[in-house]
Amino acid sequence: MNPAQNAATYSAPAGDQILFYVLAAFVTFFAIFTITRRNPVTAVMSLVATFFGLAAIYASLSAHFLAVLQVLVYAGAIMVLFIFVVMILNREEVAPLALRPMRLLGVAAAVYLLAVFTNVVHEGVPTNLAPPVTAEAFGTVESIGDILFRQFLYPFEAISLLLLVAIVGGVVVSRSHQKEVAAQRAAAYRKQVRELADHDYPGTADATEAAAAGHGGGHH
Amino acid sequence: MPTEHYLVLSFILFLIGTAGVLLRRNALIVLMGIELQINGGNLALVAFSRQLNDQKGHVFAFLIIALAAAEAAVGLAILVGLFRSRQTVNLDEATLMKR
Repeated sequence: MNPAQNAATYSAPAGDQILFYVLAAFVTFFAIFTITRRNPVTAVMSLVATFFGLAAIYASLSAHFLAVLQVLVYAGAIMVLFIFVVMILNREEVAPLALRPMRLLGVAAAVYLLAVFTNVVHEGVPTNLAPPVTAEAFGTVESIGDILFRQFLYPFEAISLLLLVAIVGGVVVSRSHQKEVAAQRAAAYRKQVRELADHDYPGTADATEAAAAGHGGGHH
Repeated sequence: MPTEHYLVLSFILFLIGTAGVLLRRNALIVLMGIELQINGGNLALVAFSRQLNDQKGHVFAFLIIALAAAEAAVGLAILVGLFRSRQTVNLDEATLMKR
């Protein structure tokens, strides 16, 4: 771990290097593929490929539990959700890219971000350190679970609450409003009938409204 | 592999995600760009976790994955709501607040 000893001398085994560069190229290619596709289904599929590549990279970082989680939760659950919504909303795009002044400002911001990140990685991180030798149990379900349920119990419970709120919020936001609209129209119709009856025959409005309520929902 | 390589890959992923968010008009692709950004951040957490030999980074990444699931559920529900009211998922046409 001493930078003076390791900084200049360390280089990873050739097998590790080949594996990393192949996976990195795979992930980068499919990430670019994701954001450049016109067809959303193709984009979702290449995003799934990106997540599988990332899972392999997690495994090479000896984060075995996270690698499994990445496949199960990301490539499984979240991407299925995306597929469903894509199937519901599938629309042809006229002009997928928006290269207008404000968006170009965004590109300039992204280039600036690239410069800042490059600077941080080159200045702030000790380069080419040999990775520490991790314990056999590093990144396994057992050791992660130990930390998660002892030190991070409250964040864990908070996340479960957040997921519950997200489920309820998702249902509330995306539910159909057709019944409400029909009820509002029926109420407006009843009000109109009552006003007309009150105007023409004062005092009989209650009976008329009761009659109107019977078939009010059928009219628009 | 040294940690620096993983960090470079993580910010490449983050920037690709950012480009997707900023340049695309289709709200679905924008959400996918956000997912790419989240994964870039996660990769940096896992890489630092190994470098520092501390598994708390894995726990953070786990919590972030759960957070991303919640974000995707709510974001996609909002998209469905937008599509119901405006018949579009094009972000340039979602201009109700502008008027």
